[in-house]
Amino acid sequence: MKAWFLRSFKKGIVTSSFPSGKNESLSPWATTPAGDISGEVNCPVDAIHNDKVDSGKCISCGICFPQFKPSLQIPQITTTRVEKSLSKSMKLYIFDSGTCGACNLEIMALNSPQYDMNRLGLSFTNTPRQADAIMVTGVLTDGMIDPLKAAIDSMASPKIVFAVGACAISGGIMGKSISEIVGLDVQVPGCPPDPFVIMAAIEKARGRI
Amino acid sequence: MITPARIVFEEDGKIFALRRYSEDLEDFSGDLLKKRVVDLKPSEKLSLFPYGPSAGGFTESIYFSILTSGEKIEAMNYDTSLKDRKISLSGKDILKALLITERINGIHSASYSSLFCDLMERSSGIEISQEIMDLRTLMMEMERISHHLFVAGRLSGGASQNIASMNIYLLREELLRITGQTFGHRYFFGINKPGGIGRDIDLSNIYEKLESIVTEYEEIYRTLMDSRIFIDRTDSTAIIRDEMAAGPVLRGFGKNMDGRLQHRYYNNLNVRISTGDSGDSLARYVVRSEEIFSSWEIVKKILDRNTRFNMVEEAKIDKIQGTGEKISGYMETPSGDLSMILSVRSGKINFFKYSSPSLWNLRVFADAMKGNNFADFYFGLESLGLCVSETGDIR
Repeated sequence: MKAWFLRSFKKGIVTSSFPSGKNESLSPWATTPAGDISGEVNCPVDAIHNDKVDSGKCISCGICFPQFKPSLQIPQITTTRVEKSLSKSMKLYIFDSGTCGACNLEIMALNSPQYDMNRLGLSFTNTPRQADAIMVTGVLTDGMIDPLKAAIDSMASPKIVFAVGACAISGGIMGKSISEIVGLDVQVPGCPPDPFVIMAAIEKARGRI
Repeated sequence: MITPARIVFEEDGKIFALRRYSEDLEDFSGDLLKKRVVDLKPSEKLSLFPYGPSAGGFTESIYFSILTSGEKIEAMNYDTSLKDRKISLSGKDILKALLITERINGIHSASYSSLFCDLMERSSGIEISQEIMDLRTLMMEMERISHHLFVAGRLSGGASQNIASMNIYLLREELLRITGQTFGHRYFFGINKPGGIGRDIDLSNIYEKLESIVTEYEEIYRTLMDSRIFIDRTDSTAIIRDEMAAGPVLRGFGKNMDGRLQHRYYNNLNVRISTGDSGDSLARYVVRSEEIFSSWEIVKKILDRNTRFNMVEEAKIDKIQGTGEKISGYMETPSGDLSMILSVRSGKINFFKYSSPSLWNLRVFADAMKGNNFADFYFGLESLGLCVSETGDIR
């Protein structure tokens, strides 16, 4: 026991002050690419038109490099509703509708000491019945349609539906978007989104930034 | 011991098989591999406990049906098909197929894309440099360290060792950040390309950071091994001794088997293999921890001879036209052996099959849980390092 305490003291404070402070890191290709090119750019998901990039479609593959480069900015987060009543406390339920696994792990990373989601009044819950927000990851798969509808129906209002990652938002390169069966309150772009981007999206959805 | 067949398929009335750690297809006289089916019959004393497909304890969606008396597990079935993405590669061009393959299992994308590119190159006789082989190996070993740290965090958290768990997650996040800064992506998406790499990589700043992560993990590991609570929760739980198992699960009961031992990417890197003997969750944890240290030894050797990798022109993708001939191979992912067969014709994929380690580990886990305490389910499952995404069907 003593060893653990000593270790923690030795390590010091590692937690970010984001969102009041600056994010300490951001994975370059989790940011929306930017370029100043008119004409054809090779994009396997048709996310680039002239110099505009649809961040909800972008799968962070880097095929557009070197014409386009990572913007190194937190991408534009589309939010159609803001729930200020959840600004003090918010319980999140992760729902995997058909991921490669990466988006799930990036959401779960919010629990690690660098992010310490609890300091913002955020926590994960094991059941949608106790959840204020559902974080849906992955493409829409046939077998998960009913469980997804059931999970959202079982949540009490107010409830927020997050589409986390390009697969959930647009279907990415793997399949269909979850928007075919549920309305998306918040879209968190990236393949997968960086944990700081997910945190920014959560804070935006409850009116804290 | 006969090396088990990982992929068996029928074509033109003949049955072919690809065995574990093999690059050669062979004629096969046995049956096609069958889905595991166990008939679970509830009775007065036994009830069926449904768990999943979406539940807080899982990292990915999976459904378990557990026959139990309330305390003991009598039998178990599982279903991974609910989140089956129905991935199809047939008719896809090489680039699109590569991007999809990277996302079959996103957290092991370096292993998947390295094998895919290796098969592409062999299908068209493209030679790659030692540097590119080294970079692929380095990415796969960093991926292994990251994955094993995640499993260690889950296991220690499950055993209420929350300070240990948070310290391990802290190290994993540090590793992911270094990966993101160095490779442009926290999970190595977009680096591997047939014949080369997709962007310049500069490794000159990662040695000290990686060394510090591994050294810190070693301290945590030694302290955890002194924890009676952690040992009690993982010792003798979910004992697996089935040779169909893969990776750390196979090595956890003493099998000195690892695809890296004979793979040409690992020539001259002297891969050190660790084994356990009890086959329980604790043995698998120890094997994974030792693999973190041996992966770091490999990474060090590679960093000693390379620090810069320059982008190789993607034009080599155009050289891959293919003849329709089937090419097969394997790679040792953090979860175990991945086997793949594919063929290319006119620059497009026209045949693709793979066998993932999670597929086999889940199968042997379901058999091994019979007789275990219900509370041990979590430790058995987490010690597998399961990735449900890679158990899906490829059409």
